[in-house]
Amino acid sequence: MTILFKPDETYRGDYTYRNSDAAILRFPFPFPEDSYMYSVNIEPHVRGGFTPVYNNPIDVDEHYIAECRDRAITLERDPGRYAALPHMMTAQWDSIELLMECLSSDYPELFSLHKDGDRWTWINRPLGIEQSFTFGKEDTLPCEPFEYITRQIQGDFAILDQRNGSLYLDAGMVTAQADWSLQFDVGMDFMEWHGPVPLAHQAGVFERALKYLLMLRQGQPMRRLNWTMTVNPRLDTSPETYPEWGPDRTTLTLDNIGRKLHLRVELQTLWRLPRSNAILFPLRGYLASLDELVRVPKWGRRLHRVLSTLPRELAEYKGLVRFLPTALEYLSTYDDGAPTTSGCAAEISSL
Amino acid sequence: MSLRKSIPDFRLLENSMNTTTCDAGHRSELNDRTAPPSMRSRPTYSSLSPDTAGAEHLLVIEADALQPGQASALSKSFTSVAEALRTVVSGSELPLPGANVQPDLAATLLAVKARLSGATMQQRVYAIGSEPFIWSIHTAAIDAGLDEKQIRLCHSGSLKRRVWCTHCHETTENVTTNIVACTGCGRRLLVRDHFSRRLGAFMGVQIDAEVPGDVPAIEEVFP
Repeated sequence: MTILFKPDETYRGDYTYRNSDAAILRFPFPFPEDSYMYSVNIEPHVRGGFTPVYNNPIDVDEHYIAECRDRAITLERDPGRYAALPHMMTAQWDSIELLMECLSSDYPELFSLHKDGDRWTWINRPLGIEQSFTFGKEDTLPCEPFEYITRQIQGDFAILDQRNGSLYLDAGMVTAQADWSLQFDVGMDFMEWHGPVPLAHQAGVFERALKYLLMLRQGQPMRRLNWTMTVNPRLDTSPETYPEWGPDRTTLTLDNIGRKLHLRVELQTLWRLPRSNAILFPLRGYLASLDELVRVPKWGRRLHRVLSTLPRELAEYKGLVRFLPTALEYLSTYDDGAPTTSGCAAEISSL
Repeated sequence: MSLRKSIPDFRLLENSMNTTTCDAGHRSELNDRTAPPSMRSRPTYSSLSPDTAGAEHLLVIEADALQPGQASALSKSFTSVAEALRTVVSGSELPLPGANVQPDLAATLLAVKARLSGATMQQRVYAIGSEPFIWSIHTAAIDAGLDEKQIRLCHSGSLKRRVWCTHCHETTENVTTNIVACTGCGRRLLVRDHFSRRLGAFMGVQIDAEVPGDVPAIEEVFP
Protein backbone atom coordinates (compact mmCIF):
# COMPACT_ATOMS: atom_id res chain seq x y z
CA MET A 1 0.00 0.00 0.00
CA THR A 2 1.35 3.38 -0.95
CA ILE A 3 0.63 6.30 1.31
CA LEU A 4 0.26 9.63 -0.47
CA PHE A 5 1.83 12.01 2.02
CA LYS A 6 0.75 15.63 2.21
CA PRO A 7 4.04 17.13 3.34
CA ASP A 8 3.02 20.77 3.04
CA GLU A 9 -0.14 20.80 5.14
CA THR A 10 -0.04 22.82 8.35
CA TYR A 11 -1.43 22.49 11.87
CA ARG A 12 -0.98 26.17 12.72
CA GLY A 13 -1.07 29.54 10.99
CA ASP A 14 -3.11 28.98 7.85
CA TYR A 15 -4.25 25.50 8.99
CA THR A 16 -4.18 23.75 5.63
CA TYR A 17 -4.65 20.31 7.22
CA ARG A 18 -7.43 18.34 5.50
CA ASN A 19 -8.43 14.67 5.28
CA SER A 20 -8.68 12.86 1.97
CA ASP A 21 -11.84 10.81 1.40
CA ALA A 22 -9.86 7.70 2.30
CA ALA A 23 -8.67 9.34 5.52
CA ILE A 24 -12.24 10.27 6.47
CA LEU A 25 -13.43 6.72 5.91
CA ARG A 26 -10.64 5.28 8.08
CA PHE A 27 -11.22 7.82 10.89
CA PRO A 28 -11.42 6.04 14.28
CA PHE A 29 -14.87 7.35 15.18
CA PRO A 30 -15.13 6.77 18.94
CA PHE A 31 -18.86 6.46 19.67
CA PRO A 32 -20.35 2.95 19.41
CA GLU A 33 -23.71 4.16 20.81
CA ASP A 34 -25.83 7.32 20.59
CA SER A 35 -24.73 8.51 24.07
CA TYR A 36 -21.37 8.66 25.82
CA MET A 37 -20.02 8.08 29.31
CA TYR A 38 -16.62 7.10 30.65
CA SER A 39 -15.93 3.43 30.86
CA VAL A 40 -12.91 1.15 31.08
CA ASN A 41 -13.12 0.67 27.33
CA ILE A 42 -9.86 -1.25 27.01
CA GLU A 43 -9.49 -4.04 24.45
CA PRO A 44 -6.57 -6.06 23.04
CA HIS A 45 -4.63 -4.07 20.45
CA VAL A 46 -4.83 -6.73 17.75
CA ARG A 47 -4.66 -6.18 14.02
CA GLY A 48 -7.96 -5.35 12.36
CA GLY A 49 -11.20 -3.83 13.57
CA PHE A 50 -13.84 -1.37 12.48
CA THR A 51 -11.18 1.00 11.14
CA PRO A 52 -8.06 0.39 9.03
CA VAL A 53 -6.26 2.46 11.66
CA TYR A 54 -6.11 -0.83 13.58
CA ASN A 55 -4.43 -2.74 10.74
CA ASN A 56 -0.95 -2.05 12.07
CA PRO A 57 0.11 -1.71 15.71
CA ILE A 58 1.67 1.69 14.92
CA ASP A 59 -0.37 3.52 12.28
CA VAL A 60 1.29 5.75 9.69
CA ASP A 61 -1.05 7.85 7.54
CA GLU A 62 -1.08 10.64 4.95
CA HIS A 63 -0.34 13.28 7.61
CA TYR A 64 2.95 11.66 8.73
CA ILE A 65 5.44 14.15 7.37
CA ALA A 66 3.44 17.24 8.25
CA GLU A 67 2.78 15.98 11.77
CA CYS A 68 6.46 15.23 12.44
CA ARG A 69 7.27 18.72 11.19
CA ASP A 70 4.72 20.29 13.52
CA ARG A 71 6.27 18.40 16.45
CA ALA A 72 9.70 19.76 15.51
CA ILE A 73 8.33 23.31 15.48
CA THR A 74 6.75 22.88 18.90
CA LEU A 75 9.95 21.37 20.35
CA GLU A 76 11.97 24.22 18.92
CA ARG A 77 9.70 26.67 20.73
CA ASP A 78 9.51 24.66 23.97
CA PRO A 79 12.09 21.89 24.47
CA GLY A 80 10.34 21.02 27.76
CA ARG A 81 7.71 19.11 25.82
CA TYR A 82 10.16 16.24 25.95
CA ALA A 83 11.13 15.06 29.41
CA ALA A 84 12.54 11.84 30.85
CA LEU A 85 13.54 11.23 34.46
CA PRO A 86 17.06 9.80 34.79
CA HIS A 87 16.01 6.27 35.83
CA MET A 88 14.11 5.79 32.56
CA MET A 89 17.04 5.08 30.22
CA THR A 90 16.44 1.32 30.01
CA ALA A 91 12.82 2.01 29.14
CA GLN A 92 13.98 4.46 26.46
CA TRP A 93 16.00 1.73 24.75
CA ASP A 94 13.12 -0.70 25.12
CA SER A 95 10.94 1.85 23.35
CA ILE A 96 13.28 2.56 20.47
CA GLU A 97 13.58 -1.17 19.81
CA LEU A 98 9.85 -1.80 19.89
CA LEU A 99 8.98 1.17 17.70
CA MET A 100 11.72 0.65 15.11
CA GLU A 101 10.82 -3.02 14.80
CA CYS A 102 7.10 -2.29 14.39
CA LEU A 103 7.64 0.36 11.75
CA SER A 104 10.25 -1.49 9.72
CA SER A 105 8.29 -4.75 9.62
CA ASP A 106 4.89 -3.18 8.82
CA TYR A 107 6.11 -0.44 6.46
CA PRO A 108 9.25 -1.89 4.80
CA GLU A 109 8.97 0.56 1.89
CA LEU A 110 9.20 3.48 4.33
CA PHE A 111 11.44 2.28 7.17
CA SER A 112 14.37 -0.14 7.49
CA LEU A 113 16.23 -1.46 10.48
CA HIS A 114 19.49 -3.39 10.03
CA LYS A 115 21.07 -5.04 13.04
CA ASP A 116 24.65 -6.25 13.24
CA GLY A 117 24.99 -7.27 16.86
CA ASP A 118 24.40 -4.06 18.78
CA ARG A 119 25.35 -1.95 15.75
CA TRP A 120 22.04 -0.83 14.28
CA THR A 121 21.23 1.23 11.21
CA TRP A 122 17.88 2.96 10.94
CA ILE A 123 16.54 4.33 7.70
CA ASN A 124 13.49 6.60 7.55
CA ARG A 125 12.78 7.34 3.90
CA PRO A 126 9.86 9.82 4.22
CA LEU A 127 11.95 12.06 6.48
CA GLY A 128 15.26 11.36 4.69
CA ILE A 129 17.12 9.98 7.70
CA GLU A 130 19.82 7.34 7.89
CA GLN A 131 21.36 6.78 11.31
CA SER A 132 23.83 4.18 12.55
CA PHE A 133 24.12 3.78 16.30
CA THR A 134 25.09 1.34 19.01
CA PHE A 135 22.09 -0.04 20.86
CA GLY A 136 22.41 0.90 24.53
CA LYS A 137 24.97 3.69 23.94
CA GLU A 138 23.30 7.08 24.28
CA ASP A 139 26.18 9.05 22.82
CA THR A 140 25.81 7.32 19.45
CA LEU A 141 22.47 9.08 18.82
CA PRO A 142 21.93 12.81 18.27
CA CYS A 143 19.63 12.99 21.30
CA GLU A 144 18.15 10.63 23.91
CA PRO A 145 16.78 7.44 22.32
CA PHE A 146 13.15 8.10 23.28
CA GLU A 147 13.31 11.63 21.91
CA TYR A 148 15.04 10.36 18.78
CA ILE A 149 12.39 7.84 17.79
CA THR A 150 9.35 9.83 18.92
CA ARG A 151 10.39 12.76 16.73
CA GLN A 152 9.76 10.34 13.87
CA ILE A 153 6.33 8.94 14.79
CA GLN A 154 2.91 10.57 14.81
CA GLY A 155 1.21 11.07 18.17
CA ASP A 156 2.32 11.78 21.72
CA PHE A 157 4.19 9.26 23.84
CA ALA A 158 4.60 8.58 27.52
CA ILE A 159 6.50 5.90 29.42
CA LEU A 160 4.96 4.70 32.66
CA ASP A 161 7.31 3.26 35.27
CA GLN A 162 5.75 0.52 37.39
CA ARG A 163 6.57 0.48 41.12
CA ASN A 164 4.83 0.63 44.53
CA GLY A 165 1.70 -0.85 42.97
CA SER A 166 1.21 2.12 40.69
CA LEU A 167 2.32 3.61 37.39
CA TYR A 168 4.41 6.78 37.26
CA LEU A 169 4.51 9.18 34.35
CA ASP A 170 8.29 9.35 34.21
CA ALA A 171 9.00 10.16 30.56
CA GLY A 172 7.09 11.82 27.75
CA MET A 173 7.13 13.38 24.31
CA VAL A 174 4.08 15.57 24.36
CA THR A 175 3.48 18.14 21.63
CA ALA A 176 -0.12 17.38 20.64
CA GLN A 177 -1.89 17.02 23.95
CA ALA A 178 -5.47 17.83 24.82
CA ASP A 179 -4.69 20.41 27.48
CA TRP A 180 -2.40 18.65 29.96
CA SER A 181 1.11 19.68 30.90
CA LEU A 182 3.98 17.20 30.83
CA GLN A 183 6.18 19.60 32.80
CA PHE A 184 3.57 19.73 35.55
CA ASP A 185 2.56 16.08 35.51
CA VAL A 186 5.95 14.37 35.00
CA GLY A 187 6.74 12.08 37.93
CA MET A 188 3.09 11.79 39.03
CA ASP A 189 1.41 8.49 39.75
CA PHE A 190 -1.61 7.21 37.86
CA MET A 191 -4.24 8.63 40.24
CA GLU A 192 -2.50 12.01 40.50
CA TRP A 193 -2.20 12.75 36.82
CA HIS A 194 -5.82 11.77 36.27
CA GLY A 195 -6.79 14.05 39.20
CA PRO A 196 -8.57 16.71 37.14
CA VAL A 197 -10.83 14.29 35.22
CA PRO A 198 -14.45 14.64 36.46
CA LEU A 199 -16.93 11.84 37.20
CA ALA A 200 -14.63 8.97 36.34
CA HIS A 201 -12.99 8.80 39.79
CA GLN A 202 -16.35 8.39 41.50
CA ALA A 203 -17.25 5.69 39.02
CA GLY A 204 -14.10 3.76 40.01
CA VAL A 205 -12.87 3.86 36.43
CA PHE A 206 -9.27 4.65 37.30
CA GLU A 207 -8.96 2.06 40.07
CA ARG A 208 -10.13 -0.63 37.67
CA ALA A 209 -8.02 0.65 34.81
CA LEU A 210 -4.90 0.75 36.99
CA LYS A 211 -5.47 -2.77 38.31
CA TYR A 212 -5.83 -3.93 34.74
CA LEU A 213 -2.74 -2.13 33.48
CA LEU A 214 -0.48 -3.41 36.25
CA MET A 215 -1.16 -6.89 34.83
CA LEU A 216 -0.33 -5.92 31.24
CA ARG A 217 1.80 -8.60 29.55
CA GLN A 218 4.58 -8.27 27.06
CA GLY A 219 3.47 -9.01 23.51
CA GLN A 220 -0.19 -8.36 24.37
CA PRO A 221 -0.69 -4.61 23.91
CA MET A 222 -4.06 -3.03 24.75
CA ARG A 223 -5.90 -0.04 23.32
CA ARG A 224 -8.71 2.41 24.01
CA LEU A 225 -10.12 5.50 22.35
CA ASN A 226 -10.52 8.89 24.01
CA TRP A 227 -11.86 12.07 22.46
CA THR A 228 -12.33 15.81 22.73
CA MET A 229 -13.01 18.66 20.31
CA THR A 230 -10.55 21.22 19.00
CA VAL A 231 -11.11 24.48 17.17
CA ASN A 232 -8.94 24.45 14.04
CA PRO A 233 -6.83 21.42 13.14
CA ARG A 234 -4.28 22.27 15.78
CA LEU A 235 -2.04 19.67 17.39
CA ASP A 236 -0.48 21.90 20.04
CA THR A 237 -3.41 22.47 22.38
CA SER A 238 -1.23 22.40 25.48
CA PRO A 239 -1.95 24.49 28.58
CA GLU A 240 1.40 26.14 27.87
CA THR A 241 0.05 27.71 24.68
CA TYR A 242 -3.59 28.11 25.83
CA PRO A 243 -3.30 31.91 25.44
CA GLU A 244 -2.65 31.27 21.72
CA TRP A 245 -5.50 28.86 20.99
CA GLY A 246 -8.03 29.72 23.74
CA PRO A 247 -9.44 32.74 21.85
CA ASP A 248 -10.26 30.48 18.87
CA ARG A 249 -13.12 29.04 20.95
CA THR A 250 -14.96 32.36 20.64
CA THR A 251 -14.71 32.51 16.84
CA LEU A 252 -17.20 29.80 15.91
CA THR A 253 -20.40 30.65 14.04
CA LEU A 254 -23.01 28.53 12.30
CA ASP A 255 -21.29 29.43 9.03
CA ASN A 256 -17.77 28.39 9.94
CA ILE A 257 -18.19 25.69 12.61
CA GLY A 258 -18.35 22.84 10.09
CA ARG A 259 -14.94 23.77 8.80
CA LYS A 260 -13.30 24.91 12.04
CA LEU A 261 -14.52 22.52 14.73
CA HIS A 262 -12.72 19.18 14.79
CA LEU A 263 -13.42 15.95 16.58
CA ARG A 264 -10.11 14.92 18.10
CA VAL A 265 -9.79 11.21 18.74
CA GLU A 266 -6.91 9.74 20.67
CA LEU A 267 -5.97 6.12 20.07
CA GLN A 268 -4.20 5.15 23.28
CA THR A 269 -2.19 1.96 23.22
CA LEU A 270 -0.27 0.34 26.06
CA TRP A 271 2.74 -1.92 25.65
CA ARG A 272 4.72 -3.78 28.33
CA LEU A 273 8.44 -3.22 27.77
CA PRO A 274 10.80 -6.20 28.14
CA ARG A 275 13.84 -5.02 30.13
CA SER A 276 12.50 -2.15 32.21
CA ASN A 277 9.03 -3.64 32.88
CA ALA A 278 7.72 -0.12 32.17
CA ILE A 279 4.72 0.55 29.92
CA LEU A 280 5.03 2.45 26.65
CA PHE A 281 1.94 4.60 26.17
CA PRO A 282 1.49 6.11 22.71
CA LEU A 283 -1.39 8.59 22.42
CA ARG A 284 -2.08 8.94 18.74
CA GLY A 285 -4.40 11.75 17.69
CA TYR A 286 -6.73 11.91 14.71
CA LEU A 287 -8.50 15.11 13.67
CA ALA A 288 -11.55 15.46 11.44
CA SER A 289 -13.75 18.51 10.93
CA LEU A 290 -17.52 18.36 11.38
CA ASP A 291 -17.83 18.95 7.61
CA GLU A 292 -15.71 15.87 7.01
CA LEU A 293 -17.47 13.68 9.58
CA VAL A 294 -21.03 14.39 8.41
CA ARG A 295 -20.15 12.98 5.01
CA VAL A 296 -20.62 9.62 6.77
CA PRO A 297 -24.37 9.72 7.49
CA LYS A 298 -24.22 7.43 10.54
CA TRP A 299 -21.49 9.55 12.13
CA GLY A 300 -23.38 12.81 11.52
CA ARG A 301 -26.48 11.45 13.25
CA ARG A 302 -24.56 9.90 16.08
CA LEU A 303 -22.33 12.87 16.84
CA HIS A 304 -25.43 15.05 17.14
CA ARG A 305 -27.01 12.59 19.60
CA VAL A 306 -23.84 12.09 21.67
CA LEU A 307 -23.21 15.81 22.04
CA SER A 308 -26.83 16.61 22.88
CA THR A 309 -26.80 14.12 25.79
CA LEU A 310 -23.28 14.82 27.07
CA PRO A 311 -23.15 15.39 30.88
CA ARG A 312 -22.47 19.05 31.71
CA GLU A 313 -19.33 18.19 33.73
CA LEU A 314 -17.80 16.47 30.74
CA ALA A 315 -18.62 19.34 28.40
CA GLU A 316 -16.92 21.70 30.87
CA TYR A 317 -13.88 19.49 31.36
CA LYS A 318 -13.42 19.10 27.63
CA GLY A 319 -13.85 22.86 27.09
CA LEU A 320 -16.90 22.54 24.81
CA VAL A 321 -19.41 24.70 26.67
CA ARG A 322 -18.86 27.91 24.74
CA PHE A 323 -19.61 26.46 21.31
CA LEU A 324 -21.71 23.36 22.05
CA PRO A 325 -25.07 24.98 21.15
CA THR A 326 -23.69 26.11 17.78
CA ALA A 327 -22.27 22.66 17.11
CA LEU A 328 -25.64 21.07 17.93
CA GLU A 329 -27.46 23.47 15.63
CA TYR A 330 -25.06 22.63 12.81
CA LEU A 331 -25.28 18.88 13.42
CA SER A 332 -29.09 18.81 13.74
CA THR A 333 -29.25 19.28 9.96
CA TYR A 334 -27.56 15.90 9.60
CA ASP A 335 -29.75 14.01 12.09
CA ASP A 336 -33.02 12.90 10.53
CA GLY A 337 -33.92 10.84 13.58
CA ALA A 338 -33.34 7.55 11.76
CA PRO A 339 -32.13 4.68 13.96
CA THR A 340 -28.40 3.96 13.97
CA THR A 341 -26.69 0.61 14.19
CA SER A 342 -24.52 -0.24 17.17
CA GLY A 343 -20.75 0.07 16.70
CA CYS A 344 -18.39 2.70 15.31
CA ALA A 345 -18.01 1.54 11.69
CA ALA A 346 -18.80 3.98 8.88
CA GLU A 347 -20.77 1.28 7.00
CA ILE A 348 -20.05 2.88 3.63
CA SER A 349 -17.07 2.28 1.38
CA SER A 350 -16.95 5.56 -0.55
CA LEU A 351 -18.06 9.14 -0.02
CA MET B 1 28.81 13.54 15.08
CA SER B 2 26.98 16.77 14.97
CA LEU B 3 24.24 16.81 17.51
CA ARG B 4 21.27 17.64 15.37
CA LYS B 5 22.48 16.08 12.16
CA SER B 6 20.00 13.24 12.00
CA ILE B 7 17.08 14.96 13.60
CA PRO B 8 14.90 15.98 10.70
CA ASP B 9 15.47 19.66 10.14
CA PHE B 10 12.07 20.88 9.10
CA ARG B 11 13.11 24.49 8.90
CA LEU B 12 14.64 23.47 5.58
CA LEU B 13 11.32 22.11 4.37
CA GLU B 14 9.50 25.25 5.44
CA ASN B 15 9.51 26.52 8.63
CA SER B 16 2.52 9.25 51.18
CA MET B 17 1.61 10.65 53.65
CA ASN B 18 1.15 9.88 57.36
CA THR B 19 0.66 10.78 61.17
CA THR B 20 2.03 15.44 64.94
CA THR B 21 -0.85 16.38 66.48
CA CYS B 22 -1.49 19.04 63.90
CA ASP B 23 -4.97 20.43 64.28
CA ALA B 24 -6.28 17.50 62.30
CA GLY B 25 -10.00 18.02 62.75
CA HIS B 26 -9.97 21.72 62.00
CA ARG B 27 -7.58 21.29 59.13
CA SER B 28 -9.39 18.51 57.36
CA GLU B 29 -12.54 20.57 57.42
CA LEU B 30 -10.69 23.37 55.64
CA ASN B 31 -9.16 20.94 53.20
CA ASP B 32 -12.54 19.48 52.41
CA ARG B 33 -13.71 22.92 51.47
CA THR B 34 -10.83 23.64 49.15
CA ALA B 35 -10.19 20.23 47.65
CA PRO B 36 -13.02 18.41 45.90
CA PRO B 37 -12.79 14.65 46.50
CA SER B 38 -12.24 14.10 42.79
CA MET B 39 -8.87 15.88 42.79
CA ARG B 40 -6.67 12.92 43.56
CA SER B 41 -3.46 14.85 43.01
CA ARG B 42 -4.31 16.95 46.10
CA PRO B 43 -2.26 15.57 49.01
CA THR B 44 -3.94 14.66 52.26
CA TYR B 45 -2.09 14.94 55.57
CA SER B 46 -2.31 13.55 59.05
CA SER B 47 -0.42 14.33 62.24
CA LEU B 48 3.33 13.63 62.58
CA SER B 49 4.76 10.72 64.52
CA PRO B 50 8.27 9.28 64.48
CA ASP B 51 9.04 6.34 62.20
CA THR B 52 10.87 4.02 64.60
CA ALA B 53 12.33 2.05 61.68
CA GLY B 54 14.66 5.04 61.21
CA ALA B 55 17.86 5.65 63.19
CA GLU B 56 18.34 9.36 62.49
CA HIS B 57 15.48 11.84 62.60
CA LEU B 58 15.27 15.40 61.29
CA LEU B 59 12.23 17.46 62.27
CA VAL B 60 11.75 20.72 60.37
CA ILE B 61 9.20 23.18 61.71
CA GLU B 62 7.77 26.41 60.31
CA ALA B 63 7.37 28.33 63.58
CA ASP B 64 4.59 30.67 62.45
CA ALA B 65 2.43 27.76 61.31
CA LEU B 66 2.08 26.21 64.77
CA GLN B 67 -0.80 26.81 67.18
CA PRO B 68 0.06 27.74 70.79
CA GLY B 69 1.11 24.60 72.63
CA GLN B 70 1.66 22.64 69.43
CA ALA B 71 5.47 22.78 69.69
CA SER B 72 5.50 21.04 73.07
CA ALA B 73 2.97 18.46 71.85
CA LEU B 74 5.24 17.79 68.90
CA SER B 75 8.24 17.46 71.19
CA LYS B 76 6.32 14.97 73.35
CA SER B 77 5.32 12.80 70.40
CA PHE B 78 8.99 12.54 69.36
CA THR B 79 10.34 11.60 72.84
CA SER B 80 10.82 7.95 71.81
CA VAL B 81 13.48 9.03 69.30
CA ALA B 82 14.76 12.12 71.20
CA GLU B 83 18.34 10.74 71.34
CA ALA B 84 18.59 10.68 67.55
CA LEU B 85 16.44 13.73 66.80
CA ARG B 86 17.68 16.99 65.27
CA THR B 87 15.23 19.86 65.03
CA VAL B 88 15.39 22.83 62.67
CA VAL B 89 12.99 25.70 63.33
CA SER B 90 12.30 28.24 60.60
CA GLY B 91 11.24 31.82 61.27
CA SER B 92 11.34 32.40 65.00
CA GLU B 93 12.23 30.76 68.33
CA LEU B 94 10.05 27.98 69.74
CA PRO B 95 10.24 26.43 73.21
CA LEU B 96 12.28 23.50 71.87
CA PRO B 97 15.64 23.16 73.65
CA GLY B 98 18.55 22.42 71.30
CA ALA B 99 16.70 23.38 68.13
CA ASN B 100 18.66 24.92 65.27
CA VAL B 101 16.81 28.18 64.57
CA GLN B 102 17.01 29.66 61.05
CA PRO B 103 15.62 33.06 60.04
CA ASP B 104 13.76 32.07 56.88
CA LEU B 105 13.00 29.30 54.37
CA ALA B 106 16.19 29.82 52.33
CA ALA B 107 18.41 29.49 55.41
CA THR B 108 16.33 26.54 56.60
CA LEU B 109 16.81 24.73 53.30
CA LEU B 110 20.59 25.23 53.54
CA ALA B 111 20.56 23.79 57.06
CA VAL B 112 18.45 20.83 55.91
CA LYS B 113 20.72 20.14 52.93
CA ALA B 114 23.80 20.27 55.16
CA ARG B 115 22.18 17.86 57.61
CA LEU B 116 21.11 15.45 54.85
CA SER B 117 24.36 15.32 52.92
CA GLY B 118 25.53 11.74 53.18
CA ALA B 119 22.21 10.66 54.65
CA THR B 120 21.62 6.91 54.84
CA MET B 121 18.57 4.70 54.45
CA GLN B 122 18.17 5.12 58.24
CA GLN B 123 17.46 8.83 57.88
CA ARG B 124 13.91 10.12 58.38
CA VAL B 125 12.68 13.64 57.67
CA TYR B 126 9.53 15.24 59.08
CA ALA B 127 8.22 18.65 58.14
CA ILE B 128 5.31 20.67 59.50
CA GLY B 129 4.07 24.01 58.22
CA SER B 130 2.28 25.57 55.29
CA GLU B 131 2.17 23.55 52.09
CA PRO B 132 4.81 25.62 50.25
CA PHE B 133 7.10 25.14 53.28
CA ILE B 134 6.69 21.38 53.74
CA TRP B 135 6.97 20.64 50.03
CA SER B 136 10.17 22.72 49.84
CA ILE B 137 11.59 20.49 52.55
CA HIS B 138 10.29 17.46 50.65
CA THR B 139 12.11 18.58 47.49
CA ALA B 140 15.34 19.18 49.44
CA ALA B 141 15.09 15.68 50.92
CA ILE B 142 14.44 14.03 47.55
CA ASP B 143 17.33 16.01 46.05
CA ALA B 144 19.52 14.70 48.86
CA GLY B 145 18.69 11.17 47.70
CA LEU B 146 15.98 10.22 50.17
CA ASP B 147 13.04 8.04 49.16
CA GLU B 148 9.43 9.16 49.58
CA LYS B 149 9.04 6.56 52.32
CA GLN B 150 11.68 8.38 54.41
CA ILE B 151 9.69 11.61 54.46
CA ARG B 152 6.57 12.56 56.45
CA LEU B 153 4.74 15.84 56.00
CA CYS B 154 2.03 17.59 57.98
CA HIS B 155 0.21 20.68 56.84
CA SER B 156 -0.39 23.28 59.55
CA GLY B 157 -1.15 27.00 59.51
CA SER B 158 -2.03 29.03 56.44
CA LEU B 159 -3.68 27.49 53.37
CA LYS B 160 -1.56 29.72 51.14
CA ARG B 161 -0.30 28.09 47.98
CA ARG B 162 2.66 28.10 45.67
CA VAL B 163 1.36 28.44 42.12
CA TRP B 164 3.14 27.20 39.02
CA CYS B 165 2.33 29.07 35.82
CA THR B 166 1.62 26.65 32.96
CA HIS B 167 2.52 29.38 30.46
CA CYS B 168 5.90 30.71 31.63
CA HIS B 169 6.70 27.98 34.23
CA GLU B 170 7.58 30.53 36.95
CA THR B 171 6.23 30.04 40.47
CA THR B 172 4.31 32.63 42.47
CA GLU B 173 4.56 32.30 46.27
CA ASN B 174 2.15 32.92 49.16
CA VAL B 175 -1.00 32.90 47.07
CA THR B 176 -4.21 33.26 49.10
CA THR B 177 -6.64 34.21 46.31
CA ASN B 178 -8.54 32.24 43.67
CA ILE B 179 -6.91 34.29 40.91
CA VAL B 180 -3.39 35.73 41.05
CA ALA B 181 -1.11 37.69 38.73
CA CYS B 182 1.89 35.55 37.77
CA THR B 183 5.15 37.05 39.01
CA GLY B 184 6.82 35.72 35.84
CA CYS B 185 4.57 36.76 32.96
CA GLY B 186 1.88 38.90 34.61
CA ARG B 187 -0.99 36.79 33.28
CA ARG B 188 -3.91 36.42 35.66
CA LEU B 189 -3.96 32.77 36.67
CA LEU B 190 -6.84 30.71 37.98
CA VAL B 191 -5.42 28.66 40.87
CA ARG B 192 -6.48 25.07 40.35
CA ASP B 193 -6.51 22.18 42.84
CA HIS B 194 -4.24 20.05 40.61
CA PHE B 195 -1.02 19.64 42.61
CA SER B 196 2.48 18.52 41.64
CA ARG B 197 4.60 17.00 44.41
CA ARG B 198 7.70 17.39 42.29
CA LEU B 199 7.12 21.15 42.01
CA GLY B 200 5.40 21.47 45.39
CA ALA B 201 2.94 23.69 43.60
CA PHE B 202 -0.60 24.04 42.34
CA MET B 203 -1.32 24.64 38.69
CA GLY B 204 -2.15 28.14 37.49
CA VAL B 205 -3.86 28.67 34.13
CA GLN B 206 -4.69 32.01 32.52
CA ILE B 207 -8.27 32.87 33.51
CA ASP B 208 -9.06 35.14 30.58
CA ALA B 209 -7.25 33.41 27.70
CA GLU B 210 -10.45 32.90 25.72
CA VAL B 211 -11.89 36.37 26.26
CA PRO B 212 -9.12 38.79 27.36
CA GLY B 213 -10.22 40.94 30.30
CA ASP B 214 -13.06 38.60 31.30
CA VAL B 215 -11.87 38.06 34.89
CA PRO B 216 -14.27 37.01 37.69
CA ALA B 217 -14.16 38.60 41.16
CA ILE B 218 -10.92 37.91 43.05
CA GLU B 219 -11.54 36.42 46.50
CA GLU B 220 -9.34 35.25 49.34
CA VAL B 221 -9.95 31.49 49.43
CA PHE B 222 -6.65 30.19 50.89
CA PRO B 223 -6.27 32.27 54.11
